[in-house]
This record gives sequence, structure tokens and C-alpha cells, in this order.
Amino acid sequence: MSGSTGCREAIALLEDWLKAELTPEVAEQVRAHFDRCRPCFRHAEFERRFLAELEAAGRGDRCPERLRAELLREIRGADPA
Amino acid sequence: MTEIGARTRDFETAVLPHLDLLYRVARRYTRDTPRAEDLVQETVLKALAHWDSFRPGSNARAWLLTILRNTFVSGYRKARREAVSLDPEALDRVSTRPEVAADPSGEFFARITDERILAAVEALPHDFREVVVLSDIEGMSYAEIAQVLGVPVGTVKSRLFRARQRLQAELLDYAVSMGWVRPRVAG
Ligand SMILES: [Zn+2]
Repeated sequence: MSGSTGCREAIALLEDWLKAELTPEVAEQVRAHFDRCRPCFRHAEFERRFLAELEAAGRGDRCPERLRAELLREIRGADPA
Repeated sequence: MTEIGARTRDFETAVLPHLDLLYRVARRYTRDTPRAEDLVQETVLKALAHWDSFRPGSNARAWLLTILRNTFVSGYRKARREAVSLDPEALDRVSTRPEVAADPSGEFFARITDERILAAVEALPHDFREVVVLSDIEGMSYAEIAQVLGVPVGTVKSRLFRARQRLQAELLDYAVSMGWVRPRVAG
């Protein structure tokens, strides 16, 4: 199968690529592989969407205002000034 | 008099922007809202007490999360008698995930809910849960997470990889059981 080494490398680097933890040069090589390889593109796209869903699911919570106000009171109550 | 001292003002400037983050992480750690609020409160008060040890200009969120994590590990977790270390064998018993190709129309993403995803995150063992939360929900870098956990970057990466595999397997198994995606066809 042609390009199998490229596929292995690309998939091995996928996690770091999605986290933007590769050097620009390596990231570009990985992206170029996904551009020309349909199975790897589908794989990468699934991982990317999965991570996007995960982030969206978890980022909805906000510190309750009541707790924020209570913390501010405690911080300022400890202020010696 | 509402005037506050420079020390308090600096503390508020560094810490208050991270309250949402601390609260979210505390909820995922404790899996319980009242305990999460206690954990955030304890973390902020400890941070205030140790504010003089914070190096100005260094990473405030990593510093705060380190305090939160230490507080959780030393108290809350012990109280729940949660396993402290990973069982590598149990972690390897990950079911094979269905082929992505079995979901050509994207039914999985169309139907999966935030509640189902968060339930799966909360079902992960603590050590897996925390890397997923810090990396994939809060967007922290490998280096930041390594700092918070006090482990090498390589450990963070391998733990994250296995945590995601497990999370995906869990959610895809659910999707298969709901008939949204087909299981992998043998051969
Ligand atoms: Zn490929």
C-alpha cells in the first residue's frame, strides 16, 4: 500500500497536531498528509469533532455568583489595609 | 471604606479571572456540587495565605490548579476512599471502538448530548478524568498539566491518549446501543 509510512506517522502525530503542540513545519506536513489522504482525513476529522464536542460540553459551567461574592468578602475581610 | 491594599488587589487581579476554571475543575474532581464549592473556597483561601510564594508573572492558573489538586488529593479524595493509583491492567481493558466509517452521516455528533459526554467523563477513573478535563476541556498545554500533576510530559501524553480512548469507547458503545452508529463489521 503506497504512502503507508506517511499514514502511520500522521496518525502517530495526530494527538499532538490537534493540541497544536507540533513545530509549524511538522504541523504543516501532517496537515498536508490529511489533505491528500481520505482515510486519515476522516480519522483526524472524527478526533477533531470529538474534542470540540468534549470542550463544548465541559465549558458551560460558571462559578455561581453567590460563591464568587462570598469569596470576595473573605478575600477583602482578610485585607489588613 | 472600600479601599483595599495593593497585596489584596494584586491577588484579586491574578486569581478572580480563574474562578470559573477552578469551579469547573472542582466539579469534575469531586463530582458533587456542594463539595466542589467547598474545594474552590478552600483553594482560594489557601492561595491567599500563600500569596507571597507566588512569583509575579508566572502561570497563575497552573499555580491555582496545583493548590486545588493538592487540596483534593489530601482531603476530599481520601475521604471517599478513591483508589490513589492507576491499575494499568484495568486501563488496558478498553473495548475496541467502532470504525469511524460506520458513522458516515455523522449521527454520533448529531445525537450525543453534553450531559451524556459529561457523565462519561465523570465515570473515568480520577487520573484519566483529570487529564481529559485539564487538556481537552480547559485547553491546558502538556507542559502546564505536567506542572500541575508533578509528572513528566510523557506521562501526561500517554495518560491522555488512554483516557480519550476509554472515553470514546464508552460513548461509541452507547451510540451503538442506541442504534446511531453500526458496530464494526468483522473482516
Ligand atoms: Zn493517510
